[in-house]
Amino acid sequence: MATYKAPLDEIGFVLFDVLGYETAVRPLPGFGEAGADLVRPALEEAGRLCEEVLLPLNRGGDEEGCRFENGVVRTPDGFKAAYDAFAAGGWSGLALDPAHRGQGLPRTLHFAVMEMICSANLAFGIYPGLSHGAADALHLHGTEDQKALYLPRLASGEWTGTMCLTEPQCGTDLGLIRTKAVPDGEGAYSVTGTKIFISCGEHDLADNILHLVLAKLPDAPAGTRGISLFLVPKVLVGDDGSLSERNGVRCGGIENKMGIHASATCTMHFDEAKGFLVGGAHGGMKAMFTMMNAARLAVAIQGLGVAETACQTAVAYAKERRQGRALSGAKEPEAAADPIIVHPDVRRMLLTMRSQVDAARVLACWTGMELDAATRHPDPERRKRADDFVALMTPILKAHLTDLGTECANTAMQVLGGHGYVREWGVEQLVRDARIAQIYEGTNGIQALDLVGRKLPQGTGRLLRRFFHPLDAFIKEHEADPCLAPMTGALKKAAERLRGATLTIARKGLSDPEEAGAAASDYLRLFALTAMAWAHAKTVVAVLPRAGEPFGQRKIALATFYMTKVLPETGALFARIMAGKGPVMGLEAEAF
Amino acid sequence: MVGKVAVIGAGVMGAGIAAQVANAGVEVHLLDIVPEGAKDRDALAKRAVARLLKTDPAPFMTKRAARRVVPGNIEDHLERLRDCDWVVEVVVERADVKRALYARLLPHLKPDAVLSSNTSTLPLAVLKKGMDEDLRRRFLITHFFNPPRYMRLVEIVADDETDPRARDAVAAFCDRALGKTPIPSNDTPGFIANRVGVYWMQAAIGHALRLGLDVEEADAVMGRPFGFPKTGVFGLIDLVGLDLVPYVDASLARALPESDPYHAERAPFPLLLKLVEEGYTGRKGKGGFYRLNREGGDRLKETVDLALGTYRPARKAVLASVDAAKAGGAAALLKAGDRGGAYARAVIARTLAYAIGLAGEVSDDVADIDAAMRLGYNWKKGPFALADSLGLANLKAMLGTEGVAVPAFLDRAIEAGGFYREEDGRLRRLALDGGYVPVERPDGVLLLEDVKRRSDPLAKNASSAVWDLGDGVLCFEIRSKMGTIDAEVLGLMGALPGLVAETGARGVVVYDDGGAFSAGANLGLALFAANVGAWDQIEALVEGGQRAYSALRYAPFPVVAAPSGLALGGGCEILLAADAVQAHAETYAGLVEVGVGVVPGWGGCARLLARYAADPMRPKGPVAPVAAAFEQIGMAKVARSAFEAMEMGLLAPGDGITFNRDRLLADAKAKALTLAGGYAPPEPATLRLPGPTGRAALGLALADLDKKGQLTAHDRAVTTELAGVLTGGDGADWTAPVSEDDVMALERAAFMRLVRTEGTLERIGHMLETGKPLRN
Repeated sequence: MATYKAPLDEIGFVLFDVLGYETAVRPLPGFGEAGADLVRPALEEAGRLCEEVLLPLNRGGDEEGCRFENGVVRTPDGFKAAYDAFAAGGWSGLALDPAHRGQGLPRTLHFAVMEMICSANLAFGIYPGLSHGAADALHLHGTEDQKALYLPRLASGEWTGTMCLTEPQCGTDLGLIRTKAVPDGEGAYSVTGTKIFISCGEHDLADNILHLVLAKLPDAPAGTRGISLFLVPKVLVGDDGSLSERNGVRCGGIENKMGIHASATCTMHFDEAKGFLVGGAHGGMKAMFTMMNAARLAVAIQGLGVAETACQTAVAYAKERRQGRALSGAKEPEAAADPIIVHPDVRRMLLTMRSQVDAARVLACWTGMELDAATRHPDPERRKRADDFVALMTPILKAHLTDLGTECANTAMQVLGGHGYVREWGVEQLVRDARIAQIYEGTNGIQALDLVGRKLPQGTGRLLRRFFHPLDAFIKEHEADPCLAPMTGALKKAAERLRGATLTIARKGLSDPEEAGAAASDYLRLFALTAMAWAHAKTVVAVLPRAGEPFGQRKIALATFYMTKVLPETGALFARIMAGKGPVMGLEAEAF
Repeated sequence: MVGKVAVIGAGVMGAGIAAQVANAGVEVHLLDIVPEGAKDRDALAKRAVARLLKTDPAPFMTKRAARRVVPGNIEDHLERLRDCDWVVEVVVERADVKRALYARLLPHLKPDAVLSSNTSTLPLAVLKKGMDEDLRRRFLITHFFNPPRYMRLVEIVADDETDPRARDAVAAFCDRALGKTPIPSNDTPGFIANRVGVYWMQAAIGHALRLGLDVEEADAVMGRPFGFPKTGVFGLIDLVGLDLVPYVDASLARALPESDPYHAERAPFPLLLKLVEEGYTGRKGKGGFYRLNREGGDRLKETVDLALGTYRPARKAVLASVDAAKAGGAAALLKAGDRGGAYARAVIARTLAYAIGLAGEVSDDVADIDAAMRLGYNWKKGPFALADSLGLANLKAMLGTEGVAVPAFLDRAIEAGGFYREEDGRLRRLALDGGYVPVERPDGVLLLEDVKRRSDPLAKNASSAVWDLGDGVLCFEIRSKMGTIDAEVLGLMGALPGLVAETGARGVVVYDDGGAFSAGANLGLALFAANVGAWDQIEALVEGGQRAYSALRYAPFPVVAAPSGLALGGGCEILLAADAVQAHAETYAGLVEVGVGVVPGWGGCARLLARYAADPMRPKGPVAPVAAAFEQIGMAKVARSAFEAMEMGLLAPGDGITFNRDRLLADAKAKALTLAGGYAPPEPATLRLPGPTGRAALGLALADLDKKGQLTAHDRAVTTELAGVLTGGDGADWTAPVSEDDVMALERAAFMRLVRTEGTLERIGHMLETGKPLRN
């Protein structure tokens, strides 16, 4: 089994010391009680649930998987009990509106809890994760009646939610959707069509499942502007919330897939199912983006969660496993061999993981805090700035953190060698589970296109202002400090590369979108590596008073490693971006 | 020669024509009847002038022009016609009333005075019935379009009896003095523009109803994609007045023979009559097909539901065909399978076929028919040019599927290869006989589009080009959208001295054929650079602009700026840097930089100060120019005409004004050649500026405004920086003159400080997104 201890101290340090949670989040309206005195115990409680309930189920869930029997999906042994415990603990509605029985706690806290869930049991986390996304969409786009009827049951975990987008002919390009919705003359709609790859589309964890389905009205214009969003319950619901008859929704089967075996990936058939319009007619894309953006951040955190577990498992193994001697001479002569952590290349792998995972967590929590500010801050200008920051960081986090998840799982396997490749240590499951996160909710290539094609030009670069201006101010504030000089120097170099690449892509992309497309993935990574360098520099600023303590030394060492061994990749990325589209587009398709 | 004018009839059109005559600097009598029992017998004409002064967009180019309109009445003041060279009748559209009036006017007319009617519906022949022999040879129709100041078309209808000298004198006056393009039309119903335009509107209404499009959808299709006004037809009817539609329709239908295809497009439209009855006559009334609902305090934009006849919230048209048009243009729209495509095919096929069929009836000259639609209906292309651009074979096929008869002239054009053709660098049009004849330009008309047909640019890049106008004059053209200025424009501008030397040219004109001279710096590029913190790039742009503008000013050859339309910000600074300006009367100039949170950075501050200090007509003393510049720039004042620009000092006393857009380039070229003889570049100005004491004084003025709540937080920041620049900075005082370059260094520094502020970046972003300044 993989090794995992909830990193409570680390999360607390990031929230309270690096990012200033108490002054940034707690003063927001409604969060007055959500201070450190509440957040720390809540995290401990969640950590215990993850370590004691979810982690032990992970291996069995993988081996047993979901089963499809007579139109019903059975989750692996123990999942139902775990889900009930999860719901009973109030975790389902953690960040949902208290007006609808949610806990009303900050997203920042929700992010931290999600990370631990994903570390312990990625497949399990998908069920409540989707419910949260569905609740968000209903909260923002549903009618008051819809909210009153459905939100409390999502918040309590009694019911779960899904997002039904993909169809056999339509993955990334939602304009191709065929599912139809016809007005039934009584204010509702009759929804017909088939959706595939629907996570948690059918299962035995909850009494009802609320499907949010993208479909087209009869008079819909072509393309994505003609999509509407419908709420289609598995079981129809009376005005009082009581369950009545089964709706025309059924699961046609589940996928056999590489990982996340305990998460049911369903084919869903809608056969004149009763649906209710959410948001305006043809307003589906807007509502869908609400779900999608939340889902993309959630998937980013899946990557982070897996990376953390991979990293912890590799470290535990490297300290335990004894092979050979340190190159500088035996470290533990009394033993038959030194632990492999003495070897420079093993250390390189461990530090590459740890230095990135820690920085990724800072970025994720930071974005969570901005998400809280974007919804709760009393000043509309500040809300807009926060919203811009989140919009900018969403594709970056989604792609980079899920890349990191796979990278760390694979690196951990390398550290474990043959023991990583066999089941026992749980690392091969991490490799398989992590892989999907790079694909779903918009492949990482699509994230890169979102970044260069949508986020860069938006407001003529307005979103970028929320990154570059504070970054420049940070460098300026700290560059004279000799203790920080190695950090700010490296950060500044990366920032200039990123700035130059941004201007080049914007200029070339204006006249030739293929130029932007050819640079997109490299650019996203350049952006992410620079942002993580900033996260490290912020971490070092926060830890300077404790520079003499082991914790401080550890943080400074990790930052130093990152700046000198990871960040230089930005030079290569910059060169690749500057090479333009020629090398990518030059070869005729037939010549491949 | 027309030296004095009278307009009889002080309604909207009569008053508007009188205002344009006054704008041209010509005294004009405006006469109307004496209202029954009126105390003031000139009340109607006086009221008309008062209304003109309140109308927006303004009929007068400057308030002073109003003084040239002399109000009177036709009972007491007909003797005033005695020294008028041209009398325009603009009374009610009744032949009997008009004819009776002509008889009354005749004894008072100068022997060679020309009388014309502005009728839009009555034939010349009908108006001339029973007319005195002498008057018949100097009577014609001059049909203006509303509003007369802004619409460039005047249709001229004359006949065999008309003395060509009378016709030419009035046409020349309309052309040169009033800036109109006179288009000769046959004496046929609706003349040219309304004949085609009213047909188009009827077809657009009828097929929208038939195909079940809503108002927004119809307007999105029948507007921008085809180069028609972006209001579309329903929006256009709101502008012209719903009440006019049945009237115009009925009079055209009455006048046309039964065989005319117009009748087939007429359909009853009871909703329109109901709206008019309820007072929804369009923008002049409570609203029309669109209205602003102010109930409940909000301003809710609403639209009439064509099926129900009630108002509902306005919505954006969502049509695949309109989306297709954004990428593939009109051709893609016409191919679309949805109702938008069907609508476009129905209306476009019929309208173009109708217009093509009119060649030979309303006019023999397709270029004239096209010009009438461009200038009278604001179409980007006339019907023949539009047909060419859609492909004549495609059009013919479309007529087939729509069941519209193919006009013989279309077949002739298909055979010949188009209604237009370019040959030997000249534009030629298809004549009725199937041959091509050159499109003639009047004397004194020089179009850059013709220069482009016959020559290649001397130099060009993505945003600008240099052309040889002949006679040793080069044209610097800013070709970017809205004439925005970027590094490319500045680069080529900087290369002008070299090009002039190379070609042995004697002068340069800055000019373009587009609708806007220059809306100023390309804010999009600057904003992006600012957002990513690329300050060095922005500073380079500011410095580069200063260098390029100064290079023009102090080059060893004259530079004449020839603006038309917008000349804002950096565009206005070109006017200030040039040796002279030849401006189209419709020039809208101003240093509006504070609207986007910066100060003029390309020498605008320095040169406006120098100009005010040097102007003998302005108050003397060191404070006055600074205070005047502070007010002009600080309030972002925009001149609404070249005359206002002159009053504001944005044009200098020696600068020229051209009324006819098509004559602007030739006039500017002539001005450059005049200046070229014995040309010496100007000396850089030395300025006496008050320094910190002056800044403190301006600060007090600002504090006063602030107290009254007239300044926003960021206004304060911007105007404070502006005050620092205009007063010469910390080191300046009365006794120590500073140079233009010193002030430009201050401009640069202030610009760079402001562009780093959130307030300025928000202003720029808002301007780019909405086209309106943000008050933050």
